Amino acid sequence: MLGRVFNIIKKEVSLELRERYTFFSSLLYLVAITFVVFKIFDKLEGPTKIALFWILLLFTAINMIGISFGYQTQKRKLTYYQMYDPQELMLAKMLFNYSKVFVAGLIMMLLMYIFSNEALKDPILFFKVYLLVVLGIVIVLSLISAISSYSQNQSTLVAVLSLPLLIPILLIGMRLSLVSERMFSDSGVSSYLLMLLGIDVLLLSLTFIFVPIVWKS
Amino acid sequence: MNLKSNWWKLLGVILTIYVLIAGFKIPLQPGILELSQSNAVIGEEYSTEITTYNTFLKSAEDLNVWIWLPNDKLIKAYSTNVINETKVEANFKLPSDIKKQSKKALSAKILIDSKTEGHYFMRQAVFIKEGKSQSIPYKDYYEIDVIKTKTRLAFPFQHILYETNRNTFFHVAIWMSMFALLLVSCYYSLRYLINPLHDYDKRSSSLTTVAIVFGVAGLLTGSMWAKYTWGAFWTSDVKLNMTAISLLIYLGYWILRGSVSDIDSRARLSSVFNLFAFVCLMILVMVIPRLTDSLHPGNGGNPAFSTYDLDNTMRIVFYPAIIAYFLIGLWIAQLNYRYLKVKDYLDFEQ
Repeated sequence: MLGRVFNIIKKEVSLELRERYTFFSSLLYLVAITFVVFKIFDKLEGPTKIALFWILLLFTAINMIGISFGYQTQKRKLTYYQMYDPQELMLAKMLFNYSKVFVAGLIMMLLMYIFSNEALKDPILFFKVYLLVVLGIVIVLSLISAISSYSQNQSTLVAVLSLPLLIPILLIGMRLSLVSERMFSDSGVSSYLLMLLGIDVLLLSLTFIFVPIVWKS
Repeated sequence: MNLKSNWWKLLGVILTIYVLIAGFKIPLQPGILELSQSNAVIGEEYSTEITTYNTFLKSAEDLNVWIWLPNDKLIKAYSTNVINETKVEANFKLPSDIKKQSKKALSAKILIDSKTEGHYFMRQAVFIKEGKSQSIPYKDYYEIDVIKTKTRLAFPFQHILYETNRNTFFHVAIWMSMFALLLVSCYYSLRYLINPLHDYDKRSSSLTTVAIVFGVAGLLTGSMWAKYTWGAFWTSDVKLNMTAISLLIYLGYWILRGSVSDIDSRARLSSVFNLFAFVCLMILVMVIPRLTDSLHPGNGGNPAFSTYDLDNTMRIVFYPAIIAYFLIGLWIAQLNYRYLKVKDYLDFEQ
């Protein structure tokens, strides 16, 4: 199964390379919007910086992942339908999307470091939170993208459907990253991390249950 | 009407009427609104004018005013002077040996009791400070069991809330029945996914529609309540915002249904989204209250409904209210479902 998943990922990468402007355009979007935000706020610090980091990352992720299922033409969809198991396809897409968003987030952290000239205060905790929150975002957005691929106005629908569903993950991520930036101390950090992991696992299993149902047409 | 299969509608209507009548007609228990003087000094005289609520002091028999010390001892007012039905003046002599029980300034309760109206009290009403004069010698304290009690059918008197306490039967009950309706809707979504009959999808979607209407109603009643107790229609309170988020999720459900034109994929996708959204909503309900303090009871040091907010008198209205709104919601959903069915049939005919 893993071999097949990697095969799909390889195919996805080659497709992405063929149309690499989409990925780079989302990266450019990220850079541009970060720059705009820093110019508007002039000096960013404290909770605002963290909040903007997550919001901008969320919107970039919606840009990147939202179209990951509907972008295909009808022909390609039919090919996928005949060739792949939906769960394997979903897993491959998730891994691929995860790496894309992960890279985008790293670039954004670098930009924030350059603009605000402030290093992360607790990088280990921040990275733990970052890995888990990005995983949650990718899971929800992938399923919503698969659901909304049947509709005509897919990009709007993805944003409308996924934003409220992502609120709990983002709130916990926000709180934990504020702790990692030493905004306030919290004794329940490890329990919050476990909660985040639990939410991710729950959403992941739900996604794998639902994907074959969504897929058949 | 066939009563055998439609008894729940009748039950819903009867319970709703019962909730409306009982919720508005059962009076509040008498209580103390404010004191004109809340600082007392040990060893000196202390007199205060007490404003009460929902009382008939002029016709009260055997009226007594007490200071209830933290160690459950009572000091009796040596004279009381009833001004009108809701105002009484009480004079105390505070004995000089109160201080022995504690080091800090004491916060004591004021308690009023009478044979006709039972007892009622106010927490943290009097602050007793250390004094210099030793003029009043040792005086007998009364034990707590001298207070006259009278049981009667009345809702508890709560500070800040007062009469808006009755909104529990509307705001909280609507909110809970909304969750029950969403649960039933998820049940039908699940059945659709197991056995794809459009019947289940129609049931599920009409239940969700009713739940959204209930959510809006809960938000409106909660907003009104917030205006009178917290001072603003919209606060940053987490549970309020949670309601708003759940409404956003289910409005998204509507948009999803509207934007997919194929009937089969619409039913399948909206069933999946409905289940997924309900799980996310459950996560939200569990997660958010842990993150921040809430103004709502049961969070951030506020007393929960189960302790003394929701006493037995409120329970006999509150639980029927949940059942009543749930049944009425089911009825509306059934009508909505029949409408969808007829509409489908007519479309098919054409």
